[in-house]
Amino acid sequence: MRRFSALIGFALFAAVMLIAVPLALAGQGYWLTVLTTAALLAFGSLGVWLTFSIGRINIAQGAFALIGGYVVAILGTRYHVSFWLSLPLAVLIAAAVARLVGWPILRLRGVYFAMITLSLTEVASLAFLNGGSFTAGASGITSIPRPALLSSSLSIYLASALLLLIGIALAWRFAASPTGAVFRSLRQGEELAASLGIDVARYRLLAFVVSSGMGGAAGAMFAAFQQNIFPTSYTVNDSVNFMLYCFLGGLQSVAGPVVGAFLLVIAFQLLSVIQRFQALLYGIFMIAAMLFLPNGLMSLPQVLAARRHERDAVVPPR
Amino acid sequence: MKRAAAVKRRHVLAAAGGLAAVAAGLGRPAIAAMKTFRVGVLGVMSGPDAAWGLHNKFCAIATANMYNAVGGFEIGGEKYGIEVSAMDDQLDPKIAVAGAEKLTQEDGLRYVIGPNVDTTALSIKPVMERNKAIYIPYAFNKTLYTPPAENAILGMIASYEAGPIIYEYLIKTRGIKTIAFLAANEPDPLNQQQAGVAAAEKLGLDVLVKDATYQASATDFFPVVSPIVKKKPDLLVLSGVAPATAPLLIKAARELGYKGLLSTETAQDIKILTEGAGKYAEGFISVGGASTPEIRSAYMESFVKEYAKAAGQWDDEAGTKVYALEMVLHTIAKAGPQAIDDTSVYKAAIDSFTMPNPFLKSASTLQYVGQAYFGQKRQIGVPMVVNEVKDGSFQTLFVGSVA
Amino acid sequence: MAQILIDGSVLSASYALIALGITLIFSIMRLLNFAHGELFMIGAFMVYYVYGAWHLPFVLGLLIAALVPALIGACFEKFLFRRVMRVATREENSMLLAVGTAILLDNVALFLFGEEQHGVPETISGVLQIAGGFLPYQRLVVVVMSLALIALLLGFVQFSRPGRAMRALAQDRDAALLMGVDVDRTSMLGFAIGAGLAGLAGGLLVTIQGVNAGIGVDISIKAFIMIMIGGAGVVSGALLGALVLGFAESIGYSALPGSETYLLIFVALVLFLIIRPQGIMGHPWG
Repeated sequence: MRRFSALIGFALFAAVMLIAVPLALAGQGYWLTVLTTAALLAFGSLGVWLTFSIGRINIAQGAFALIGGYVVAILGTRYHVSFWLSLPLAVLIAAAVARLVGWPILRLRGVYFAMITLSLTEVASLAFLNGGSFTAGASGITSIPRPALLSSSLSIYLASALLLLIGIALAWRFAASPTGAVFRSLRQGEELAASLGIDVARYRLLAFVVSSGMGGAAGAMFAAFQQNIFPTSYTVNDSVNFMLYCFLGGLQSVAGPVVGAFLLVIAFQLLSVIQRFQALLYGIFMIAAMLFLPNGLMSLPQVLAARRHERDAVVPPR
Repeated sequence: MKRAAAVKRRHVLAAAGGLAAVAAGLGRPAIAAMKTFRVGVLGVMSGPDAAWGLHNKFCAIATANMYNAVGGFEIGGEKYGIEVSAMDDQLDPKIAVAGAEKLTQEDGLRYVIGPNVDTTALSIKPVMERNKAIYIPYAFNKTLYTPPAENAILGMIASYEAGPIIYEYLIKTRGIKTIAFLAANEPDPLNQQQAGVAAAEKLGLDVLVKDATYQASATDFFPVVSPIVKKKPDLLVLSGVAPATAPLLIKAARELGYKGLLSTETAQDIKILTEGAGKYAEGFISVGGASTPEIRSAYMESFVKEYAKAAGQWDDEAGTKVYALEMVLHTIAKAGPQAIDDTSVYKAAIDSFTMPNPFLKSASTLQYVGQAYFGQKRQIGVPMVVNEVKDGSFQTLFVGSVA
Repeated sequence: MAQILIDGSVLSASYALIALGITLIFSIMRLLNFAHGELFMIGAFMVYYVYGAWHLPFVLGLLIAALVPALIGACFEKFLFRRVMRVATREENSMLLAVGTAILLDNVALFLFGEEQHGVPETISGVLQIAGGFLPYQRLVVVVMSLALIALLLGFVQFSRPGRAMRALAQDRDAALLMGVDVDRTSMLGFAIGAGLAGLAGGLLVTIQGVNAGIGVDISIKAFIMIMIGGAGVVSGALLGALVLGFAESIGYSALPGSETYLLIFVALVLFLIIRPQGIMGHPWG
């Protein structure tokens, strides 16, 4: 039953993204850009969500977005590789880097893992900054060619929306599969999982590699649309934001990071009217959400239901 | 005591600003009956670098308020009220792109002042070109201004242009022979460092240190500065130094016993300099706007007041950013009212445009420059004011110009 | 060479205050205080206003630089963290809350203090020359005061009653509860002292580095690096972490160009954590 309603929800979301939005906003570059950003950030956050599902706080997604962006930038400007070929390459390279660094750092847990992934974002930025002529250092890579077929805001939006839908479907499949069950068991306790004969190291690496590949894809898409990439294109703040979208949306379901990313990105655009206060409100909003909805916005129905229940219990019916 | 008086004056100004706002509110119907010309400002207006974008915003607002107060700006025989739409890009390319889309598409603006750095300026380039809008970045990346790009106009003097003029002056007046360069490891400062080294070598200076760099977020500069100071250059150039870092670098160099000259090619803020470096700030040479009292025109005086009304206080660094809206308005006036919606008319008028510089006491002209460097005129040709810190305030050393 | 030693000592001494503060909060509450850099920044601004702008004594400024962040920390603990840590189903939630407080403080500071860089006049001018190295008296003041404060804190934690309660809480929360330690009050006190230390560090360093509303994140990252090196929640580890980072910076900045120093520090950190995931002094994690 739950699966069925989730399926309907997904179908509705897909219809809105692929049919309603293009029809309603076809000529409005601004909102299409906002939604493109939201879709790509949501896609990157889905990856972070996967690492959350194994009980790890991942603040490294900015690093992999940066790697993905640089792959597209270097291949596109120097070797004139088509974006449609460099996109999968960006995913593979980001995933390969994740495999390499993931193996040692995944042995760390809790705040240690959080801190080391946060440092990874800095490492990536500094590595590209000091990469000499290969990465063009501080001056970044500009004039990245536009992807073939993607010249209008609408086509860029559609590509991003499609990517996000594929990402949601994959993550959902993942969560429902035996592998997803293994992930959840890792979150409950790695020792326990290990005692059941699960190859803990392999599975947690799998989650991290898939997550980072998704980060790479998001970075590759952003780089191609903005046509430039700099070592500072993704900073610690971006990595933290990827993580926040998951948190705020809720970690219990696949929809969490998507809801979080769309809500925050769009809310931010609407809040921009009161410019000087927007970031301040952002902070207050976050703290309030944690105080009253500690398990994310997706838990709102349950919280409300519990409230109602409580009230009914306290005030006896006459 | 002096300080208290200054603070009080600021309060009075703020109160006056409140009154002016009320008056403007009453005067609305008259303005509403007029046509309006809307100009956008896109830049970083929050976070640690907020000053850059806010200076652009408040300069535009000050210019707009001054014209609105006298009944609007005349284009093609008709008066236009001027309205400024400002957007914060948070120094984030993603947000800058959305902001550019909003200004050009949703609001239909064709003229945008900003953004402030290469990352954001390059990111909005496709958007601005697609929407045929003119933008005035304060970022030095050459691809923005060289053909085939033709919609961006550099808003200020690039420091690679200021460098040689300053060095030449110092060779003549102070007899410097050796020079050293230090820059933050960031695109703009690094480019300025390279350009500075090339210019110095061309002038026959002995370049002792060419490529010393520091991390942009560094806060302790003793380790970086001490090896340079040991070589005892006559002039130490802080290429593209951020206003926040300048006092720390100056202080470190002086505390380490450096006796030579210190200079930069970017605009600085005197309050930040004297507060952060104290007596060590004396003699520091930097590029300024039309802000030092001895060269200000009466128009500039009232501009400074108008700016303080909008922003709360005048800021020296903003003195380099007073020209953008003024140039846009007068170029449109020259090109004719079609230029309001059709930027190709504006671009055609660029080459022959000149106007008297209203901000300086001495007679000088404003025009578009950059033919030599960009292959087309895509830079606002502002006078280059070189300042030296003396007794805790800026004093104009000389006023140069860039071809 | 002398200069590197001098710079390293100055940096290490002041970093130690930052690291001690964050490790104190961590050991008592199992919470990574993301807003640590922001509290440092607020402390720095307090000294700027009291001493730099209003020309009151520097020591008074330092006192306020400790009190205001301590008060903020105590409020955070009492009204935010205590509640969230009680009701949340996942331990990550307290970390998100910490990130939220950091963003909040960052923006409140920007709103209150503006975005400009500020500095204060030296409390004592002049430069001491030792063995070819330069040591401004101001930096000497920072070192001496940092060391004094560290000694004071260690004494407090070791010998005072609340200090012992904190150590008990850090060792075993449940046991401390059974032994009659007032967990809520001790946690609040611990958070306040940790935050106060961050503020003190800021208040001392503002005389050398100045302050602006944006320095919080960088300081927080430095704090994280130090506790990763030393081991989270261990006092000796925090001191060691500060020593390593301070000297890594002073050696790196003078030997390597630009931003390679921090790249190397980070790479070394990752390699080090592979060999010793719990830091030098820390207990194995998990």
